[in-house]
Amino acid sequence: MRAADALHQARQPAKAPKPSANVRSVRYSTSPLLASKTPPWRSKFLVALVGLSFCVLLGRAAYIQIVGSAFFLKQGEIRYARTLELPASRGRIVDRNGLILASSVPAPSIWAIPKDFEADKSQKARLARLLEMTPSELGARLDDNPNFVWLRRQADDAVAQQILALGVKGVHQVREYKRKYPEGEAAAHVVGFTNVEDKGQEGVELAFQKDLAGRDGTRRVIKDRLGRVVEDIGESVAPIDGRDIELTVDSKVQFFAYQRIRDAVAENKAKAGSVVVLDAQTGEVLAMANVPSYSPADRRNLSGAQLRNRAITDTFEPGSTMKPFIAGWALETGRVTPSTVIQTSPGRMTLTGSTISDSHPHGDLTVSEVIQKSSNVGAVRMAMTFQPREMWELYSAVGFGQKPQLGFPGAVTGRLRPWKTWRPIEQATMSYGYGLSASLFQIAHAYTVFAHDGELIPVSMTKNPNLPAGAPVSGVRVLSAKTAATVRDMLRLVTLPGGTAPKAQVVGYSVGGKSGTAYKQEGKGYAQKKYRAWFVGMAPIAQPRIIVAVMVDEPSNGKWFGGDVAAPVFSQVVQQTLRMMGVPPDLDVKPQIVTKDIPAEEESF
Amino acid sequence: MMRLNALLLVALLASAMWLVRVAHDGRALFAALDRAQSEERLLDSEHERLKAEKQAQATPLRVEKAARDKLAMRTATPAVTQYVAWDRAASAAEGRTP
Repeated sequence: MRAADALHQARQPAKAPKPSANVRSVRYSTSPLLASKTPPWRSKFLVALVGLSFCVLLGRAAYIQIVGSAFFLKQGEIRYARTLELPASRGRIVDRNGLILASSVPAPSIWAIPKDFEADKSQKARLARLLEMTPSELGARLDDNPNFVWLRRQADDAVAQQILALGVKGVHQVREYKRKYPEGEAAAHVVGFTNVEDKGQEGVELAFQKDLAGRDGTRRVIKDRLGRVVEDIGESVAPIDGRDIELTVDSKVQFFAYQRIRDAVAENKAKAGSVVVLDAQTGEVLAMANVPSYSPADRRNLSGAQLRNRAITDTFEPGSTMKPFIAGWALETGRVTPSTVIQTSPGRMTLTGSTISDSHPHGDLTVSEVIQKSSNVGAVRMAMTFQPREMWELYSAVGFGQKPQLGFPGAVTGRLRPWKTWRPIEQATMSYGYGLSASLFQIAHAYTVFAHDGELIPVSMTKNPNLPAGAPVSGVRVLSAKTAATVRDMLRLVTLPGGTAPKAQVVGYSVGGKSGTAYKQEGKGYAQKKYRAWFVGMAPIAQPRIIVAVMVDEPSNGKWFGGDVAAPVFSQVVQQTLRMMGVPPDLDVKPQIVTKDIPAEEESF
Repeated sequence: MMRLNALLLVALLASAMWLVRVAHDGRALFAALDRAQSEERLLDSEHERLKAEKQAQATPLRVEKAARDKLAMRTATPAVTQYVAWDRAASAAEGRTP
């Protein structure tokens, strides 16, 4: 407009001055240049345009409010509502007295965003030290990925606090949990462990993963600008915490059993060893210890040999520990009485071309003495009066060739071939425990037949909440109570002078049991100078409370008989366990009053 | 009429301000509740940790070592134990509990 004005004024003098009175305002319409040539539709068009845009706005508003309202509501919610995970805590594992065997504790994980990472040299050095890395290792870790790296999973709470206190930029924490195992390596094979994702990998942690894990809950909330929760929306799902698992294991017995077998393995320069302690009245597992073991807290450089729960995963030929079953069945069917004399001289016998021999000739032995002196020939003479099927039924009735119903991962079945394929020599060798295999746990379980008055009772690893503690259980009857008592008496003879295992004796308690020694099977034959020694027994013998089975693998320190290697462990474990269970001694003991050398107070006179 | 309207307007404004205030208070209280609840969870897990730690300090290994080395205790065997029979009926008659 101003330009036009100037133009107008500039042109004015050139034209003839008009006799106009109005000099103040310019009459544009008079200027031919400025005369409006606008057609009338143009203004109408503009008005229509404005109207139309209003219509578009209205339409858009209607679309947002009516047609697409669901979508936009959702988009809005995404921006202010958050779903929070409510983590369920993993259940604890406790022993029969409620002592903790495994429990979850907070263990923050440290992570970093390397592109945000800012630290000076001393900060870096301190951070690396807290993370147990060298500074160069830390640098390499940070170079892995510019967006996210774990610096340390499941650190200690105290360490995490110190790292937070350093205030290094780009280093963050997330709250996680890890398992703590207070009993450490003593109970490692029973309890097992979890991985970094809190999933059970071994033992009870694996067997009861479902019960222990629980279920995570969720919760929808509205968060404000500062990240504070200001309102709950919708319904929240409460987390269901994992159930606590109560084992029948007694951590004191477990520890003691572990300690004894560890010492015995070291003393005998053996490869491995196991102990199983069963409650003979309820069938509960009081302890199950294996050597070599591992510390569940530090599982670096673990080998399979350490991880295996040998008591239930390793099978071997049960050897002489089978003889009491043969004697028991012979007594039960009335074929013999305890004083029946069996001719075992000259200490060997030949059966379809194969020779069975004793370690040294014994001459005439009664049935009781066959067990006491562990005569192979005597056992074979009794067993050859059985039908193969009869013997197979006896063996499977006491649990051989069957998986123990323990609900424990890795429990093996052992091997008991069907009786139809037995040759006579095989039946003979099976009577003294060769040609079949079982785990130490199976042997201990089978001995409940003798300990529980002829009944094979079911075993359990977890407490049954429906049963009151110490309630008597009943099982499958295999032998009569009278026969069981007779066999127990024979087992007692084994531990008396003249038996194979006098070292199994316990101060104050009568015990009974059977030792076993065998060449180790290697490939197709038996290895020379590689033995396995074991002992299974019970105490007190008149009314057994516990069954203890001990196995030592490859003792190589000059002693290898079950009576020399395994029986002392049995004796110590029985002594401690019965004392802890408060069982009164059933043998008279000569009191030993021990005095200590204490300097006496000087008398004044 | 005019006066009534003015009065209603004032009442409306006052109630609106009140609503704003109440909503804010509600949110603040809810945030405080939420904070308290997360603190409860934290204390719970701390409690759990301390219990586990306590158990780790009282393992049979440590107890036995302390008893043997520090307190010069020995394992009780039947040989050094005097067993006395407890007659349930007799002690009940005397009105004592063991």
